[in-house]
Amino acid sequence: MTRLLDTAFVALFGVVLVAAAVFLIVPIVMTVLMSFDGREYLGRFPPPVLSLRWYTAFFFDSYYMVALRNSAMVSTVAATMATVTGVTAAVLLDRYRFRGREALSAFFLSPLVVPTVVMGFSVLMFLSLLGLYDGFVRLIAGHIVITVPYTIRTTLASLVGIKRSLVEAALSLGADERRAFREITLPLAKTGIVAGAVLAFALSFEEVSVSLFLYDPPSTTLPVAILGAMRSQFNLTLASASVVMMGVTAVLVLVLDRVFGLDRIIGAGIYRS
Amino acid sequence: MRLTRGAVLLLATVLIVFLGLYVLPLATLVRESFKVYRSGRIGGLTGTFTLANYAELFTPAYAAYFLDTFRIGFIATALGLIASYPIAHFVARGRGRIRTLWIALLVAMLFVGTLVRAYSFALTFGPVGVLLPVSRFLGVSPNSLTLTELVVIAGLLHYVIPLMALTLVGTIHNVNPALEQVAQSLGAPRWKAFFTITVLLSGRGILSAFLLGYALTISSFVIPMVLGKGIVLFATNLIFNRFSELAHYPGGAAIAVVMLLLSFLIIYGIVRVVSRRLEPA
Repeated sequence: MTRLLDTAFVALFGVVLVAAAVFLIVPIVMTVLMSFDGREYLGRFPPPVLSLRWYTAFFFDSYYMVALRNSAMVSTVAATMATVTGVTAAVLLDRYRFRGREALSAFFLSPLVVPTVVMGFSVLMFLSLLGLYDGFVRLIAGHIVITVPYTIRTTLASLVGIKRSLVEAALSLGADERRAFREITLPLAKTGIVAGAVLAFALSFEEVSVSLFLYDPPSTTLPVAILGAMRSQFNLTLASASVVMMGVTAVLVLVLDRVFGLDRIIGAGIYRS
Repeated sequence: MRLTRGAVLLLATVLIVFLGLYVLPLATLVRESFKVYRSGRIGGLTGTFTLANYAELFTPAYAAYFLDTFRIGFIATALGLIASYPIAHFVARGRGRIRTLWIALLVAMLFVGTLVRAYSFALTFGPVGVLLPVSRFLGVSPNSLTLTELVVIAGLLHYVIPLMALTLVGTIHNVNPALEQVAQSLGAPRWKAFFTITVLLSGRGILSAFLLGYALTISSFVIPMVLGKGIVLFATNLIFNRFSELAHYPGGAAIAVVMLLLSFLIIYGIVRVVSRRLEPA
């Protein structure tokens, strides 16, 4: 009886794992396959003929290409500014001891908790109050606030790992604080900083719920363009656009793994096998 | 090290960025939610104060949207927990190639953008995918409320499984695997050892993973917007509709303030749960 129950238990475990894997993979694989559909119309799965027609349609459509350029611009500027702000904040939190430091740290990370829709709506209303109506300015502002916590977190994670004795050694060998920071701390924290920047870019590039409040027609980003097209048309250009977006994310995740190690993003406990 | 003058200046700069992009926008939101709405006008009337925007949320029509959001989010998170605990257990305890593949899969799925995820589901469960056979099998219309809800739940599930599983891996790592082995060598069947040792000892981790998943599902926006097709609406979708269709800013702001408070409450709950573990029992 016990043997039977145990076998059933192990089998159930296996079934849940397999079902979850299938559930996670199938929609993505289906989108990728459909993006290579050779048919002119939106036909049933699976595609009988394969072609690159939807990729051609995507890359030769000025609507998407302008949006892609806008996205690249907004994400680059926002990620850069988020990184500068985040690194500054992280270094201050790591190096100095002052009253309210813990509270400040929690405050800097708290935008993570705010639902993105709420953030987008709030930034929109505040910037309108200031008379700032330019879509690019608004998008960059919105994207900075949602990505800054990530750059702070990764930078802090890499700063915490630096032995204080290394900086002290530099100081006792005659370097001043500034030089010790530039030549010891910064190079050692480089991985965290780069990881934060890459993460910020990736998140900004795929962001849509904040952007939906902040864009104006000339500054339409790629995800906003895709969402707009989703409501008006249902052809497979969107499948190829989705695959392009996944490709960009995949490249960024690989970079992230190289510089930072995805293991460090995944939490580890005491009894790590 | 004590703060130097240069450091104070830098700190002030960072604070100004947070003030301008974060604190003042949220303050504007709160202020807007108390303004009087006049149709046809963008933004509430200046200098007015009313609680009507909040009172409106308690009318049955609006309360229903909130209840829908909480109910659907709860179902998705509960299912997410059932799916992600075994995954996390396997990643934490297993070894070999399949484990590495699982980690790769979870991380890859974590980074799939919300929009791409929503589109993939719209395609998979759409007219060209499995929607028609499934709706015929269930004997309901493809646009029926039940089926649409199921698709929204599936979309949310796809979103929370990687996150919850990765959160739980750390928790399960913290349960000494020797305990389960001891229980088994003392005669406990495998399933009993699993539930009474590992699951019970990771209780707080499970609770915080659940709360995290819940906070994320109830504040999700793109998935209910795309997959709900206007049939299923989350509170976040109402915020956007009030903004884009009615220019009813004060009403949207009131919903947004409620969602904001809820998120902070849930995350505060997580912090409480996690920090209690560190205190001596």
